[in-house]
Amino acid sequence: MSSDNTGQKQRRRWRPELGLAVIVLALGVFVVLGTLDVSAAASQLGIGPRFFPMLVGCSMIAIGLFYVADVLRGGSGDPEESEDVDVDAPADWRSVGLVSGIFLAFTAVLNVLGWIIAASLLFFGLSVVLGAEHKLRAAGVGVALGIATYLLFVKGLGVSLPGGLLRGVI
Amino acid sequence: MDSFQLLLDGFAGALTPVNLMYALIGVTLGTLVGVLPGIGPAMTVALLLPITFTVPPTSAFIMFAGIYYGGMYGGSTTSILLNTPGESSSMITALEGNKMARRGRAAQALATAAIGSFVAGTIATALLVVAAPAVVSFAISFGPEDYFALAILAFTAVSSVLSRSVVRGLASLGFGLVIGLIGIDQQTGQARLTLGLDQLLDGVDVVVVAVGLFALGEALYVASRLRHSLPEVVPVGRAWMGRTDWRRSWLPWLRGTAFGFPFGALPGGGAEIPTFLSYAAEKRLARGVAKEEFGKGAIEGVAGPEAANNASAAGTLVPLLTLGLPTSATAAILLAAFQQYGLQPGPQLFDHNPALVWGMIASLFIGNTMLLVLNLPLAPLWARVLRIPRPYLYAGIVLFAALGVYALNGSVVDLVALFLLGLLGYAMRRFGLPVAPAVIGLILGPMAEIQLRRALAIGAGDVTTLVRSPIAVILLLLALAALVAPLFRKLMTRRRTEPIVPASRED
Repeated sequence: MSSDNTGQKQRRRWRPELGLAVIVLALGVFVVLGTLDVSAAASQLGIGPRFFPMLVGCSMIAIGLFYVADVLRGGSGDPEESEDVDVDAPADWRSVGLVSGIFLAFTAVLNVLGWIIAASLLFFGLSVVLGAEHKLRAAGVGVALGIATYLLFVKGLGVSLPGGLLRGVI
Repeated sequence: MDSFQLLLDGFAGALTPVNLMYALIGVTLGTLVGVLPGIGPAMTVALLLPITFTVPPTSAFIMFAGIYYGGMYGGSTTSILLNTPGESSSMITALEGNKMARRGRAAQALATAAIGSFVAGTIATALLVVAAPAVVSFAISFGPEDYFALAILAFTAVSSVLSRSVVRGLASLGFGLVIGLIGIDQQTGQARLTLGLDQLLDGVDVVVVAVGLFALGEALYVASRLRHSLPEVVPVGRAWMGRTDWRRSWLPWLRGTAFGFPFGALPGGGAEIPTFLSYAAEKRLARGVAKEEFGKGAIEGVAGPEAANNASAAGTLVPLLTLGLPTSATAAILLAAFQQYGLQPGPQLFDHNPALVWGMIASLFIGNTMLLVLNLPLAPLWARVLRIPRPYLYAGIVLFAALGVYALNGSVVDLVALFLLGLLGYAMRRFGLPVAPAVIGLILGPMAEIQLRRALAIGAGDVTTLVRSPIAVILLLLALAALVAPLFRKLMTRRRTEPIVPASRED
């Protein structure tokens, strides 16, 4: 099973899209196996809680197989075009990793530091990774946004956000 | 005219100061997110779901409808002033609109887009008033097997129309269906696919999925291939147009409306195909100056597609309100909003909640008028929004995404789920999987299951019940045709590799 590339652009032998296609297939298997655990005893008449998931799972397996075959035969979708995206640029894994890391760090510290500090740091970190030139201005906008959203949503709209370190201060 | 009387009552409900304020908030927010790249009406409505829980349903839907229509207006501003569209549905507008702007006719392009959107939106909403009761009286006889067949048709049509590759559209649909399965089965109380995690017993919230796939997915995708130069925004003054522009615009507006409304109402129709058809029609019908100008900035090429775009938005509301059938990502989120209020769109909604339905429809007329006022004189203001530095824009989008999802349950687990779905959204964009089928599968999947089980329970488990009604048979055959048609097309035109329909994001 070699991945010949018929026409189009020159691509490497291992296609990352194969990973996604395999995930579709694996998800189908997971649904079928996961549904086997569900006891069907509750249904005497008609169909129980297993029928529809089985249908979805089997369809997912079929779709996954077609998808894997399509990728192996050199098929590809059109990467989505968007105003701020350079479709022909190579993927910048460092930025994706940093954005992911910053977001996960934000989820880890949110309850400890509170919304205002954590959100300000999230905004500052992301804007710097995405290429903000004035770091000081990015920090300023981040703090302003953190405070403004807290006041608007907590005081104005009654949403509860963690106060964290600043509890009692604001 | 019974529905005329109901519509008047709807106006009475929509014209209260509070509801006018919600309509204004809706259209302003809608225009803003339509202009801004990276976010669209579907995600905006999803983010607003948790905080609108305390708002009465009529007001909430007036606001959501305003966001939907406003997004359609805002998208055209982006496509005219930047060479790249804000929404996939205004991709065609960019073809002629941006060239007009570059030749110094940005004001006229914006004006024909805004006035055309108003004309089309108003006519199409009037068509909605006429069509909705007709569909309702037809759909009242639908049995569960018909609704199941309708859902299947929506699934296959959306998957095959929105992507050049059917298998990728179906894979996206499958992601949505699988996520929709997670949680406790409503009829028997059995936990399904929860991996033993208590947090998953209630299923994955629609807000988390929509915001993850749209907002975080988009931010990660942009991070991976950020265009490092700021796009060039064509400067513009107040939008206006001269007598010749009016003469050249009014027929394309009407033709665009005629394309847009029916396609919006079809499952999988969306806004992309009618805008494309309208453009092709105007190009073919062009005579004289217009013929020479096509490809260099012809006003007909902006007027027609923009009208089609807005008319399709009104068309989308016909199956949504009368059948509970979403045909676009935004419509699917609106359906989730109805469910949040314990309402089920369909023939009964018109019976039980006439004030809500007709208030919402009346607010569409009001919102359209507001949008015309917001977009004609304020065009320069919206153009300035386009100059927001991209690092701030995407950092802000992620911040609001986190805020909206955290506000749901105050749970950090939701934020981790948001991140995982963001990764999925990134991969889908990277490999050209349309996002809309996933959202529609997520929301329509559980409803399809209920109808399926209801139908089979009535038929005592006999599978042929599903094809006993002629309506169901026709719908299922259409669903099959939607799947097979692209394969045929591929076989017929093996050689040609041009993309037929632009890949969709959200509309």
